[in-house]
Amino acid sequence: MDPTSRPAVVIDNGTGYTKMGFAGNVEPCFIQPTVVAVNESFLNQSRTSSKSNWSAQYSAGVMADLDFFIGDEALTKSRSSNAYNLTYPIRNGQVYNWDAMERYWQQCIFNYLRCDPEDHYFLLTESPLTAPENREYTGEIMFETFNVPGLYIAVNSVLALAAGYTTSKCEMTGVVVDVGDGATHIVPVADGYVIGSSIKSIPIAGKDVTLFIQQLMRERGEKIPPEDSFEAARKVKEMYCYTCSDVVKEFNKHDKEPGKYIKHWRGIRPKTGAPYSCDIGYERFLGPEVFFSPEIYSSDFTTPLPVVIDKCIQSAPIDTRRALYKNIVLSGGSTMFKDFHRRLQRDLKKIVDARVLASDTRLGGEVKAHPVEVNVVSHPIQRFASPNLPYMQACHTKAEYEEYGASICRTNPVFKGMY
Amino acid sequence: MILLQSHSRFLLQTLLNRIQNLEKCIELDHHWVEFDDVRYHVQVSMKNPHILLLSLSLPTPPLETVFVGGLPFGAIEAIKAAYGVIVQILDPPRDGFNLTLKLNLSKLPQDEDQRHTLLVKIASVREVVLGAPLRVILKHLASRTVAPDIDQFVALVHRPNESFFLIPQAEKVTVVFPMRFKDSIDTVLATSFLQEFMESRRSAGLSNAPPCLWSQTPPLELKGVTDDALSANAGFVTFVILPRHVEGRKLDRTVWNLSTFHAYVNYHVKSTLSITAPFVCPDFVCYREVAVEIIVCSEGFMHSRMRRRVESLIQALNCAKPDQEKTKKTPQTRSFKRLVCDVNAKVDI
Repeated sequence: MDPTSRPAVVIDNGTGYTKMGFAGNVEPCFIQPTVVAVNESFLNQSRTSSKSNWSAQYSAGVMADLDFFIGDEALTKSRSSNAYNLTYPIRNGQVYNWDAMERYWQQCIFNYLRCDPEDHYFLLTESPLTAPENREYTGEIMFETFNVPGLYIAVNSVLALAAGYTTSKCEMTGVVVDVGDGATHIVPVADGYVIGSSIKSIPIAGKDVTLFIQQLMRERGEKIPPEDSFEAARKVKEMYCYTCSDVVKEFNKHDKEPGKYIKHWRGIRPKTGAPYSCDIGYERFLGPEVFFSPEIYSSDFTTPLPVVIDKCIQSAPIDTRRALYKNIVLSGGSTMFKDFHRRLQRDLKKIVDARVLASDTRLGGEVKAHPVEVNVVSHPIQRFASPNLPYMQACHTKAEYEEYGASICRTNPVFKGMY
Repeated sequence: MILLQSHSRFLLQTLLNRIQNLEKCIELDHHWVEFDDVRYHVQVSMKNPHILLLSLSLPTPPLETVFVGGLPFGAIEAIKAAYGVIVQILDPPRDGFNLTLKLNLSKLPQDEDQRHTLLVKIASVREVVLGAPLRVILKHLASRTVAPDIDQFVALVHRPNESFFLIPQAEKVTVVFPMRFKDSIDTVLATSFLQEFMESRRSAGLSNAPPCLWSQTPPLELKGVTDDALSANAGFVTFVILPRHVEGRKLDRTVWNLSTFHAYVNYHVKSTLSITAPFVCPDFVCYREVAVEIIVCSEGFMHSRMRRRVESLIQALNCAKPDQEKTKKTPQTRSFKRLVCDVNAKVDI
């Protein structure tokens, strides 16, 4: 049977979480942390033993090769025994440990999705700043190791735009604000093509929010065991954080009614199993505030997110700017804080209106500019890669790979086109 | 992971999820495909949140296999025996599927452990349905009889348009797998793997495992099977299953291992460095993972070796770089010739 008649396998590898499933469904099948736990105790053992015993050494290597876990299983394994080492194959949106990545994919395909990679087309994602070499590597692993019949490596932000793509409304122009766990990118897309020269990235992402919360809680002296503090901060971020409209007002609100705003967090110490609890206070709104006033977190980077978005659109070709302002799409886990899109829209609108007003006064009121429409949307349910998107035609096939080699993956069609 | 698990991970996760929030009305509609072209579809509607429709489509059966009403023989009985009251078989099944089950989640047992076992059983519906005929034959073997009204050999589907063969006898059942691979590299790797697999049977730990043979040509027992069904590019694997391999609880494992043998080989050829041989050891009481000394042949392993080599070369180059800069700053007494030699020596590492 032809692989195109089966649904494509979609694996979206993010810095924090990997989403995998089949095209055509509303949700991914599995959402797992991108982490591999490898048992290296076998290897170390054999190194210390005598060299003559090569067969023992060899079978130790064999066992080490099989003995690894990914995702949540990896986290629980590493917690319960010291033999496993955690490896995070992706850092800041870029794969940097290919061995671990290959193992991760192998488990995703054979153990989680349980499909035969020869039977399906594959749709993978990459960050907009991925180097061509990395794309080649991905292609090599997919075609050589897994023998996939076809592969498409999509830019995750373009997919986010495509999530709102329906047959009635083909809007493929917009700015994607992708705030993931390890990387934040602002990617302008015009008619489905990425405007590569205007991509902006920010060194602040979900992980920094977690670190900031961790720091706040530590400074206040909450009694959280240090080995669990990062995990606890992450949970606090995911469960209790929200975006406020004004920090000063929010501080006042918290001080007036502490009972209403202060939450409690209960956890269990990983080593002893004893329970502990702590309070969650200002970090509930100060965490997401990192994006809007970064100076509270770091002194290296102090440009707020709305300003960067505005700069990004201003650097795009002039005829696309209005359309870009009109469709600003949020994607990625760290945009899911309550009211994040409202705050972003308000701040952006302020910047844009100020600019329009300035130009109006400069022209002396003779010519009046149309007000610029600013719209920030976040798709509540993202359609998980609908099957009949045009990407099927742009797939690299196994035959092409065999003919030309890994270089077919060098270029991504969405970067060609206009500019 | 060495062996494939018999339950579908996603199906089990979905079921557990549903049980936990049984009161919540959720619309659920999910398709997915597993190896050997087994398709699943799960549906829950807003109106009846405790009813779950599970449809299953099986690989297209080749001509020589016996299919009754779109299912392998014995499947309906196997479903009824395994699930009891909570499952109802819908007739006709959903369009494009071979079987649709209506699960009534409110009828699940209250006991936590029992419920979990049953859910795992439901998640391994594929084993129950596809393994049904194999189970019937092996059960007869356990009681040392041959099922009546059975031909000299039985063909069972395991991959789309491909089947494996059973030759049931009172004292033993011979199972023959024609191995086919699409990719030429896979074929070569699989052939060498299967030969090693056969050799490994001789090692001490595996003396209880079923005897296993690999040959380039089809075994003589299969005379009379059409050439089409016997065209294999990676040879034929024959297992001889004896009554002691199917006693009591070992039956389930043996059925699952045999019906997914091809997927097992495929998985190990693709990704792991080594092949371990618990498969040929259905003597699961003394179940041990015995590493087989096999030529390191899998594709994943070759790639990681190649990457390591490239990395070490790059490292050598990087080692050479700062030295060059340093020597520029402090030329001192070293001659140019010696300098070049040093750099070369570094690269060789």
